[in-house]
Amino acid sequence: MTTLQALNRDRLKELFDLRSSYNSLMGGDFQTDPYPLWARLRAEAPVHDGTVHKLSGYPGEAFFQGLPFPDQPHFSAFTFAACDAALRDEVTFASSPAVVDGTGEIPGFETSMLSMNGAMHRRYRALVQPSFVPAKAGWWITKWIEETVQLLVDGLVDQGRAELNVDFCAAIPILTITHSFGIPIEQALEVRASLGTPAKIAAMLAPIVAARREDPQDDLISVLVQAELRDEDGVNQRLSDLEIYSFAILLLLAGSGTTWKQMGIVLTALLERPELLAAVRSDRSLLRPAIEEALRWTPTDPMFSRHVTRDTEFFGKHLPAGSVLHLCLGAANRDPARWDRPDEFDPRRPVKRSLGFGGGFHICLGMHVARAEMLVGIGALLDRLPNLRLDPDGPQPRYIGMYERGATEIPVVFG
Amino acid sequence: MSVDQGVAVVDRSRCVGSGMCIVYAPGTFAHDDEAKAVVLDPAGDDLETVEIAVEACPTSALRLVGDQEEQ
Ligand code: HEM
Ligand code: SF4
Repeated sequence: MTTLQALNRDRLKELFDLRSSYNSLMGGDFQTDPYPLWARLRAEAPVHDGTVHKLSGYPGEAFFQGLPFPDQPHFSAFTFAACDAALRDEVTFASSPAVVDGTGEIPGFETSMLSMNGAMHRRYRALVQPSFVPAKAGWWITKWIEETVQLLVDGLVDQGRAELNVDFCAAIPILTITHSFGIPIEQALEVRASLGTPAKIAAMLAPIVAARREDPQDDLISVLVQAELRDEDGVNQRLSDLEIYSFAILLLLAGSGTTWKQMGIVLTALLERPELLAAVRSDRSLLRPAIEEALRWTPTDPMFSRHVTRDTEFFGKHLPAGSVLHLCLGAANRDPARWDRPDEFDPRRPVKRSLGFGGGFHICLGMHVARAEMLVGIGALLDRLPNLRLDPDGPQPRYIGMYERGATEIPVVFG
Repeated sequence: MSVDQGVAVVDRSRCVGSGMCIVYAPGTFAHDDEAKAVVLDPAGDDLETVEIAVEACPTSALRLVGDQEEQ
């Protein structure tokens, strides 16, 4: 238990409250339910002029992948067919406005594979993909997830009540990723707080990278230091320190906030439906479909964007080269052309891919890790907190946020 | 297996190893050491399940062929 005491509750709350200043840049303060409006926009036309946040009535500026590019025209796609088509066509719809080759000066996600295209992206992705396949889920669970989850539940189990969003959901992914890097727990929150300052993260990683180069372990930084990148001429090269920092920063950025908020959405959706929660509790095979359904119904990242590389006619709109296309995955995931009763949260509906983890060549690398964290996390709550239910005297959770959606807070009682 | 049954084929150059096919048709697909999808058992799932997995492939690396004509 000693290890987890190093986590400071108040600091945790500040970093993981969607409305706190850390997160308001991504539109964390947005309170309106955008889905009715998205339904109207989707019914009107597959593609609209403007950014998703402006079309959704978000006041002011919001930042996210693909924002801001104030000088470029923006368009937004709202149907499943249009979003899926753009994601599958990386030649017309690129992940960055300029060519990214991993050799930038500054570590960060702008120089990571998230922003690469074509063969370059494939070479970098292939280095880490073997650590993120479904067959590796067991490695993630036993090495980096299970113990943390049990320790977190140990901390709540005797209290009779808890706030699960920050004290549980938020803690699991950041601890999983930092743990898998070999970063000590005392530094986990510092890492989270430094996400906007890549140089600080690089400084925290530097001694670990150096140590793993000397003496590789069974962890993620060791995978990166041992990985060999084969260039066009077929020559193998090790990743530079800078490339490793960029990879690590991408994993931190992509893997901590997302899974936290998605886990909160799954939990809230279940707690708001006590009969369904009881069904999941007694038949644990329903938990996985409930997670998949939450990724469809309310994906935490409802928008990613692409840069238009050449003039193109796209679902009734002319998109000039250089423009930015926002893909409203949230709206696509409730397209009535693909799902019956799309606004209903129904884990028993027939299985079918949604765009909750994106699509195309950049589809989420961490999806099986995220699923494992949510399964183990929520599974442990159901196993160890009898009669788990929303606190009738507490504030009821609401779903908020523009480009990073999640629950406000999840006060529960049990026992 | 009859001609109209359909067998999944993997285009290795398009496969990024996402594992989506394994999520939807775990009886059929697996990964090799390079995290490229392989068909482990062409009869591992029913046809409808394999079709869902083929559609789920984010990079269009999978297609179904009638096993006798094209194999
Ligand atoms: C439920 C939680 C998660 C959600 C909803 C999610 C969602 C997404 C989405 C939509 C994309 C596509 C971005 C684009 O197309 O531009 C993406 C990419 C990515 N995600 Fe996740 N993610 C989650 C968890 C994770 C975790 C846990 C990790 C790492 C441990 C991770 C690592 C990545 C990486 C590295 C990419 C970039 C892949 C590439 O460019 O090829 N994600 N994620
Ligand atoms: S779904 Fe497609 S890209 Fe993903 S592992 Fe299967 S074949 Fe490869």
